[in-house]
Amino acid sequence: MGIVTAISLLALYIFNDMVGDWGRLSGGWENLVIFFNESLWPPDWSILEAQSYPVCEQEVELFCSVAWLGMVETIKIAFVATALGFVFALPLSVLAANNLSPLWMAIPARVILAAMRSLPSIIWAVLFMIIFDVGTLAGIFAMTFYTVGYLGKLQFESMEGLKNAPLEAAKAMGMTRAETAWHIALPESANHLLSHLMFMFEYNVRHGTVIGLVGAGGIGLYINTYLKLTQYDKVVALLLVVFIVVVLIDFLSMAIRSTVTEEGDVRRPSWSTIFLPASISSKYHTTPMKTSSSKEDE
Amino acid sequence: MNEVLAHLHDVSIGYDTPLIEGINVEISEGDVIAILGPSGIGKTTLLRTISGLIRPLSGEIELAIPSRGGLGYIPQRLGLVGNLSVRANVSMGARVRTSRWWPAVFPLPKEFEEDISKAMRHLGIEDIADQPVRILSGGQQRRVATARTVAQKPKLVLADEFLGELDDDNVEVVMRTVHATIRAQNSALIMVEHHEKLAKEVANRIWRIKDGKLIEEVVS
Ligand SMILES: Nc1ncnc2c1ncn2[C@@H]1O[C@H](COP(=O)(O)OP(=O)(O)OP(=O)(O)O)[C@@H](O)[C@H]1O
Ligand SMILES: [Mg+2]
Repeated sequence: MGIVTAISLLALYIFNDMVGDWGRLSGGWENLVIFFNESLWPPDWSILEAQSYPVCEQEVELFCSVAWLGMVETIKIAFVATALGFVFALPLSVLAANNLSPLWMAIPARVILAAMRSLPSIIWAVLFMIIFDVGTLAGIFAMTFYTVGYLGKLQFESMEGLKNAPLEAAKAMGMTRAETAWHIALPESANHLLSHLMFMFEYNVRHGTVIGLVGAGGIGLYINTYLKLTQYDKVVALLLVVFIVVVLIDFLSMAIRSTVTEEGDVRRPSWSTIFLPASISSKYHTTPMKTSSSKEDE
Repeated sequence: MNEVLAHLHDVSIGYDTPLIEGINVEISEGDVIAILGPSGIGKTTLLRTISGLIRPLSGEIELAIPSRGGLGYIPQRLGLVGNLSVRANVSMGARVRTSRWWPAVFPLPKEFEEDISKAMRHLGIEDIADQPVRILSGGQQRRVATARTVAQKPKLVLADEFLGELDDDNVEVVMRTVHATIRAQNSALIMVEHHEKLAKEVANRIWRIKDGKLIEEVVS
């Protein structure tokens, strides 16, 4: 507790030091209120209507709308990049985990992962745009690179948190690194890997908006266009759409993770515990949903 | 003629400071050795040193067993994979009998399936073969860990208190199965056992750890 207090106080001190002149803030609030009322609110929901061009051939008008087309493209990019990133990150993270691999393998693997994630995805996007020209391909490559770096780190850290006993039994028996990774490290950390994967997917959907800004396709391209046209009410509407999708992914993530739990079936949340607040769902389900990932100390 | 499987020359074990010093022993085919000694004396450390997981502080350990699949280890905490089924856990024992180039993602060759089923049958866990190990009772988990080693058919078995939590009937079952496995392969077993009476019943050699020394006792 003392450490937390000390760090908080330190942060406040540094913050105050950096801002220096708080007086600059005065008047800012009124400006924000005026900007909000005149430009942002209410959101312009015309983004849910069919575009005037090309002519809509769908039965449902929504499917021709800016929001729908952009969001679907963004989700596609994020899905492909996350899946590819996951596949490439796994072997790298096994090499980077110091309980699975010797240091002479772990250190280079970590350096590679760090290099991939130290460039923000938007810089990767610019680099790949130079190679592949403007478009979806550059966006997918950029996102995949960043995803490998990010997911790889999350993955090797959760592998390093694995219980020691199964790894020791495997080592004593003479299992190879590949066997240990596939038959022990992967199933033992499945819950964490899934939750990282879903987090990364959600992150990439949100970042699709950023990558779109550099011309990589998706909803970000539209957001960028409306920003340039200063149609902020449409930007707000599109951001709300992104927000709703992110929330939906969060629910999906919970549902998927509930299929792999570390402890007994007691912890498996039912659908009502996912979609309803705990106070309501507990009326229907007597078994309380505990937080997963609490581990016995080894 | 029983071959020597392991030879410890003037071995000291421990982490930073020695726990047990001056160990000079041979382990031969057919040996069933029980290690006795109070908690915290270094019994688990001794098994981990023999299995090669940690180095001895001094001295030398010679092992005359294959590095892949030759040594079976049942850790005190069992070391099972909770999210996998009983069958998948037992299969890991058989997997180290394949060549090390057999791809990890491939299923095992057919001829191993029979051994896996037999190990589970002998230990009375074939009914729960498809259940995830994490939901099993302590005694059931112990039998799964034993079955994994039985399916492995190692030359030297190191078992750390693997009879704990078992009722008398199951101690009987587990010991009979392990004995049979050892006899079939002409292997050796080193087991840590807290119950002196049980240890003397099943073992033909006793190592007592006392005051930082390993003392071999004659079993009457
Ligand atoms: N990884 C480790 N690093 C440092 N010290 C350790 C480590 N593991 C165990 N020890 C210490 O070594 C000593 C011997 O531990 P060990 O597990 O070998 O005892 P044991 O004889 O098996 O006891 P028990 O019967 O309770 O299992 C203990 O004091 C323990 O704290
Ligand atoms: Mg012990």
